[in-house]
Amino acid sequence: MRVTVYLFSGRNVPLCRRLSSGDGVLAGLADADTIFALSSGHGRCGVAVVRISGPAATTALRCMVGLRKHLPPPRTALLRSITDPHSKEVLDRGLVLWFPAPHSFTGEDSVEFHIHGGPAVITAVLQALGSVPGMRPAEAGEFTRRAFHAGKLDLTEVEGLGDLIHAETEAQRRQALRQMSGDLGRLYQDWSHRLKRCLAHVEAFIDFSEDELIEDGVLDRVDISVCDLQAEINQHLKDERRGERLRSGVHVVIAGATNAGKSSLLNTLCQRPAAIVSPIAGTTRDVVETALDIGGFPVLLSDTAGLRDSPDLVEQEGVRRARERCLLVLNKTDLLPEAQREQLSLGLRGTSGLPPVCLISCQTSEGLKDFLTVCADPLSGAPTLTQARHRAHLQQCAAALAQYWRYRDSDLALAAEGVRLALTGLGRITGRVGAEEILDIIFKDFCIGK
Amino acid sequence: MSRMLTRKLLPVRNILPPVTKRTSHVHRQRYDVIVVGGGHAGTEAAAAAARVGAETLLVTQKTHTIGALSCNPSLGGVGKGHLVREIDALDGLCGRAGDWAGIHFSILNRRKGPAVWGPRAQLDRQRYREFIQAELLSTPRLEVLEGSVEELLVTDPNPEEPGRHRVTGIRLANGSRSISASSVVLTTGTFLSGSLFVGHTVSPGGRIGDAPSSSGLSQTLRERLGLRVGRLRTGTPPRVLKDSVDLSLAKLHPPDSHPTPFSFMNTRTRCKPEEQLPCYLTYTTPGVERVVRESLHLNCHIQQDAKGPRYCPSIESRVLRFPGRRHQVWLEPEGMTSDLLYPQGLSMTMPPDVQLRLIREIPAMHRAEIHTPGYGVQYDYVCPTQLSPALQVKNTQGLFLAGQINGTTGYEEAAAQGLWAGVNAARWARSLPPAVLSRTESYIGVLIDDLVSRGVNEPYRMFTSRAEFRTSLRPDNADLRLTLKGSLLGCVSSARRDEFLRVKLRLQDAEAALRALTLSPAGWRKMMPGISVSESKNGSLSGMDLLQYKDVSFEMLASLFPEQLSPHMEFSERLKIEAVYKPHCDLSKREVERIQKEENMSLPQDLDYFSLPVSLSKEVREILDRFRPSTLGAATRLEGMTPAAVVNLLNYVQIAERKERMMNRSNAGHQEGRGDDLCARNASLPQ
Repeated sequence: MRVTVYLFSGRNVPLCRRLSSGDGVLAGLADADTIFALSSGHGRCGVAVVRISGPAATTALRCMVGLRKHLPPPRTALLRSITDPHSKEVLDRGLVLWFPAPHSFTGEDSVEFHIHGGPAVITAVLQALGSVPGMRPAEAGEFTRRAFHAGKLDLTEVEGLGDLIHAETEAQRRQALRQMSGDLGRLYQDWSHRLKRCLAHVEAFIDFSEDELIEDGVLDRVDISVCDLQAEINQHLKDERRGERLRSGVHVVIAGATNAGKSSLLNTLCQRPAAIVSPIAGTTRDVVETALDIGGFPVLLSDTAGLRDSPDLVEQEGVRRARERCLLVLNKTDLLPEAQREQLSLGLRGTSGLPPVCLISCQTSEGLKDFLTVCADPLSGAPTLTQARHRAHLQQCAAALAQYWRYRDSDLALAAEGVRLALTGLGRITGRVGAEEILDIIFKDFCIGK
Repeated sequence: MSRMLTRKLLPVRNILPPVTKRTSHVHRQRYDVIVVGGGHAGTEAAAAAARVGAETLLVTQKTHTIGALSCNPSLGGVGKGHLVREIDALDGLCGRAGDWAGIHFSILNRRKGPAVWGPRAQLDRQRYREFIQAELLSTPRLEVLEGSVEELLVTDPNPEEPGRHRVTGIRLANGSRSISASSVVLTTGTFLSGSLFVGHTVSPGGRIGDAPSSSGLSQTLRERLGLRVGRLRTGTPPRVLKDSVDLSLAKLHPPDSHPTPFSFMNTRTRCKPEEQLPCYLTYTTPGVERVVRESLHLNCHIQQDAKGPRYCPSIESRVLRFPGRRHQVWLEPEGMTSDLLYPQGLSMTMPPDVQLRLIREIPAMHRAEIHTPGYGVQYDYVCPTQLSPALQVKNTQGLFLAGQINGTTGYEEAAAQGLWAGVNAARWARSLPPAVLSRTESYIGVLIDDLVSRGVNEPYRMFTSRAEFRTSLRPDNADLRLTLKGSLLGCVSSARRDEFLRVKLRLQDAEAALRALTLSPAGWRKMMPGISVSESKNGSLSGMDLLQYKDVSFEMLASLFPEQLSPHMEFSERLKIEAVYKPHCDLSKREVERIQKEENMSLPQDLDYFSLPVSLSKEVREILDRFRPSTLGAATRLEGMTPAAVVNLLNYVQIAERKERMMNRSNAGHQEGRGDDLCARNASLPQ
């Protein structure tokens, strides 16, 4: 058995452990400890969230926010002064939330302090917490691990959560939230549900049809379903790895003929003169790299020397590959008369086999907004793949569905095996599907009996 | 007629009627194995235990009903046929009995791929009983005793091993005589606190015409051993007089023109192809539904909560669950000379006069007469999660359960468990470690694993969809999967072992001959113009590769290469199947290995899941405590287990195993073996 569990800490330290029979596995935790940590990101920020989880969480409420007699109502924000338990000095004024077990992120009694984001305040509150008996700073990933052990998260959620904690930019946070709240989960669940029905119907046809009443149309309906699923999964796989790129950031190279305006584009995008621009062809000699946030994407933008026809075979291959996955940008539209621009635009739209095209002018900023939309809106449309693991399982799934067609007419057992393998592949993401579930569908959908 | 059948033909003729051979006294005071019950599970258990070498006693209420088919007169089918083939591969009785008694053979699913072919036969009840009785009465080391078991004798729990009883024998009803044994196999079917239902009448019993079994047995299981029991129900249709049915109004359903025997030992069936009898198909009418609805208030059985099978429902539940539909009714012959028909699909429990009214709503039966009315049975079953994979009750050493008592339904399911319980009862009596069949190698393994690790909440029937390795667990290769293993266990006769070895070697030769025939794709295209042979990676294709093509048969290849292939014509079908399936079986090998690995990680039976120092949710602890899975593999398949829980258990098992290894290392030389626990751990036999 090989399970990969990604665990992440509140301090952005990924803790990855591979679980397999041969490797070390998660040690059972002494869950009696109460842990605390800064759960929001480090660095200067408006609001910082400090999270406390464990049996002594209520102690923090009692001795640090003066709620001695009554615990606050669960899951309701209270504005309180947060004081040092020993010196009684007021450290900050902030929101206090109380999440009694089991309705909390970790499944344990939990408390959150939402305090001001200055490093001095955060350090003071963390130090004060450390002085409360029974409390200790959380280890990397400990909150998530506790949530996982409490059965609060499934693997997809843990992965989604990992992304959330790592989200350095807005779009990443949005996508991570989507996955946690289950956009992707819902999509996969829907596929899994439909595949289950397909399998159940094929199985019913195998296990029952000859001497019992299973209508002949059953397999035709399965055919249609399998066909649809195949198309949808393949479409999803063809998302050009947007989701994955969203996680790790995108490397974008500006390439093109000399003097096409590559450096101008770079400067326009990062809104500062990062590269030297001049009307002289070949001004840029070295690669200029700039980190940018385009539409929420972490983007590493590289300006290059111009593309040339090269006799070098390796370089030719490099250029060919570069052309496979690109966005075509036509600069200097300001130099064209309006009518010609329209014509060009129409002509390009009518030409098939071209990558997405943008007409811009770095000089006038015309078309720049469209360009940014085209290059970065991974959140529009269907949810995207965020994990390479998901991609691998979905590819398995799609390949297995092809087996259904290969044997559809000659050997239904092998065709069913294809659907079953597809469901197994998907089940690695959404959870295993047992034989009983398939039988339940069979008995719900058909009157079996002899 | 084949060699085997001829040999079996004689004893049957010689010993008729079998009743005269019944034993009213036993020769010994002590047996290795006592089997209680003479149904499908009991007969297989007794025969298997005796084959393995145990002195065995079969106790049954009536020797006359040994091998009786209490319900449908048929054997096999999709999934069930797989079980019959496997039972036969382990030298069980039912496959050969089916070949002897079959009067209508067909392979179901013929067009759906060999992995799901379902060998099936209509049986002659009389012939089936004859065969089973003759077989049992001629089995060495096996005695049959007519009697009723009053009590199961068990020791008090051993203080060294909390909760552990040991079985010591049985006490008979008349005269309170006790017979001691090392192992007892209970196969009491529907007789455990059984009640019969017809209309408003409820009477104690497990089968019409038979005395109810004593309540003592049920009491011992529940009160003495503290076993959890549940209640299930089943039913059987009325038997109809053949002459009173207008068969011209039903659709004729002929058998296969060439009957395929169940047994690997038979090349032909006793019934000649032309002697076979047909079945008939007809349908229910709106009138049937009306009668069911009108008589619901007269129908005690249907109003009870006990769970009935979803796939073999009574006509009442079919009509209530899927109203407004016509339902199939099969009219099946009960025997070569029987004047009865069995209306499959019309199991019912209403009063007899209403039963008559109901069947007369079906055109073909508008003047039908009922010979025996249908009835319902409710009975106790022992929740099978209390059993080990050897079908031994976990808290009682030497006590084995098989058949409907474990919550299954069907002759084949019962026979499969019986055989395996018999083998293990004999092994227990001889202090051998339990033998386990994996779900990766057999349907019997799937059946037992599902029962003991997941339990049942309705009568359990085998379906091919329950076997995750269906492509390798095929009816055609049951012998290759099991006969050698059976032979090592000693439950396979030398005749079968020799035949198996012959077949295995011949198959290997044939495969080698096919692989030795290599041609380029172009060469094959020239030889077989109709086949679109695709290119291959290494430039050549073997005969085995070609056989994978849909339209290529072994016969075609043999006609092209008569010298090399014609000696192997005997196996043409098996070779074709093997060629098509081999690539798929190879693909699932890794998964098979993973499961086998997990199945080898045993979880101690006395584990206290509530105090286990690993992080498990309360819910998971409860599930684990309730089902007490024997292995990590079984735990993984439990409903409600989370991936985290499995990881934690895995962790626990590994730490425990590491500790044990270290202990063993430090104890090496001082101690040989570590008793039951170690045995259980090394239970699987050489593959």
